[in-house]
Amino acid sequence: MSQQSTMPLQSTKPDAIPARVGVGLKPEHYDAILTERPDVGWFEVHAENYMGAGGPPHRYLTAIREQYPLSLHGVGLSIGAARPLDRDHLKRLKALNERYQPGLFSEHLAWSTHDSVFFSDLLPLPYDEESVRRVADHVDEVQDTVGRRMLLENPSTYVAFAESTIGEIEFLTEVATRTGCGLLLDVNNVHVSCTNQRWNAIDYLDRFPMQHVGEIHMAGYAPSKDDHGDPLLIDAHDRPADPVVVELYDHALSRCGPIPTLVEWDNDVPDWPTLFAEARRVESVLTRARRDEDAELAVAV
Amino acid sequence: MSTTKKLTATVLAGAVTAAMASFAVPASAAEGDMVKCYGVSLKGQNDCAAGAHSCAGTSTVDYDGQSFKLVPAGTCTEMQTPEGPGSLEPIDRPA
Amino acid sequence: MLNLQSLSEIQAEFAEALRNPAAAIPAGIVGPDGGPAPKRFSIYRNNVLVALGNSLAGAFPAVKRIVGEDFFKVMARTYVLESPPTSPVLMDYGKTFPAFIARFEPASSLPYLADVARIERQWRESYHAADAVPLPSTALAEVPEAELADVTFRLHPSLRLSKSSFPAVTIWRMNASDVPTSAVDFAIGEDALIVRPDAEVEVRVVPPGGTAFVEALASGESLGSAAALGQSSDERFDLGGNIAGLIGAGAFVEIRRGLEQVPQ
Repeated sequence: MSQQSTMPLQSTKPDAIPARVGVGLKPEHYDAILTERPDVGWFEVHAENYMGAGGPPHRYLTAIREQYPLSLHGVGLSIGAARPLDRDHLKRLKALNERYQPGLFSEHLAWSTHDSVFFSDLLPLPYDEESVRRVADHVDEVQDTVGRRMLLENPSTYVAFAESTIGEIEFLTEVATRTGCGLLLDVNNVHVSCTNQRWNAIDYLDRFPMQHVGEIHMAGYAPSKDDHGDPLLIDAHDRPADPVVVELYDHALSRCGPIPTLVEWDNDVPDWPTLFAEARRVESVLTRARRDEDAELAVAV
Repeated sequence: MSTTKKLTATVLAGAVTAAMASFAVPASAAEGDMVKCYGVSLKGQNDCAAGAHSCAGTSTVDYDGQSFKLVPAGTCTEMQTPEGPGSLEPIDRPA
Repeated sequence: MLNLQSLSEIQAEFAEALRNPAAAIPAGIVGPDGGPAPKRFSIYRNNVLVALGNSLAGAFPAVKRIVGEDFFKVMARTYVLESPPTSPVLMDYGKTFPAFIARFEPASSLPYLADVARIERQWRESYHAADAVPLPSTALAEVPEAELADVTFRLHPSLRLSKSSFPAVTIWRMNASDVPTSAVDFAIGEDALIVRPDAEVEVRVVPPGGTAFVEALASGESLGSAAALGQSSDERFDLGGNIAGLIGAGAFVEIRRGLEQVPQ
């Protein structure tokens, strides 16, 4: 690619993420996106992959950011850790937010670092008053340091903790209420966790505090079995969203209205046309929800 | 430092002139050995998804690795040494 | 009655069980029936090894190709358990992997493997290094002859050197691209000069004496003393050829002449 400016963008306001389908940006698709300029609402990147000093990742992201709204999704902050947050990492997140002015900024309800060892996995935590307080303190610290509101994502979990005293939705609601953060509703995670924990996914969505939701994630999972040979789903992001997850998405939209929705595909990444087709498929559900909402508004008027 | 400074200004100037001259020749020797591999769009190292294949359905984890049994089995066996086809192991050199 | 633990204790125990296969699975970890769930817990154990192993496989593709997939997997897992990352930025992970390979007994039949790994590690660093615009090829010709011996340089931030007493660059190239494999002369040692002058990382074999010359320039030595060091490190040292090679590689981003600086 040609020599391009690697200076920070001049715009001072983030371009808002539209209530459309966005796509998780993969390096495999940089060139196709810059050449074809596909009709995609926005892109999202994993923040940690753009924490080098320079080089092609920043050039490509800068070029794509000039054409599309961007969402920044952290995968390594370890907000659910009992130990203090990594200050250096917070600074890197702040710098990336300043450089790219993303419309949304999110992280996970999970931990991934302990005693300075980074496990590169989104590990589960028990839900009780102590962990609510810990997570809320960390979210406060993130929002104060980075200087903007963040979204916290509901996790995919494979185990539960005997120590838990409150439910996942109560936990997320409490953190959002205490900190003012928004929530990222990952519908695939809802299906994965509800299957794995034997919860009812519709009930989960019906109780989810939709007023805090600023973004939705859609992805595919891999089926497996647990200790008793019963279904256990793995959050693999290696295929299209399952029809059941698309139905749950439709149900979620009927409660929260059109919300920016990301299509994630991180393992066995397909070619751009395949990924784009998956984005269009999800967008058709979102478009229908928007029409339904418009129709309801028209009736109300 | 000054003790090692044995090169005269004239020698240095001559070297710079020679260097400049090499750029006058198309496809200079300086470019001849250059290798680019992998391209510019490298996969990111951080991810938020679970590893799809090896975790799905895996109940035990092979931590041990049985490294005592390990024998490298990649391209090395297909490459050729000056002594003929076979392993890339150096033959006349101490490891 | 369950002995309730603090969040910190739970995570310490969880983390220990992830790192140590012999460690017990934390008592509070349960399935939906409230009973023990070792298989469910092993998903996390496995995810950690898979994610970090994949990260290494992505960063060391030539090493992986040389040893084969199965060998690499075990070597990477052994390294992950011994030296897990200490930063959430995984592009920095694997700095010590080449040194680990050098003492990984099963790989001892491939004594050049660590040097190939070193090239890949330096390549990665060069890829993510700060951007800078190399000086035009004529910049050095503009320095007056009398000042040449005293000029110093700022080298490109992406510049890396990788030494080897094996033909490591040739072996790396054969396994990092689709060039056909061919005979390798083990009598030839190849040091690598790795620079990313623009978008693409470029790798070159350093000519004789060149490594000492570039190391001296990188540490701030003047052109005169660096040239002397190059010459004393190898009698075949060709100053003009080395300067041409570095200019061609885009290695210089600034010439410093005493108090005055010549940026472009």
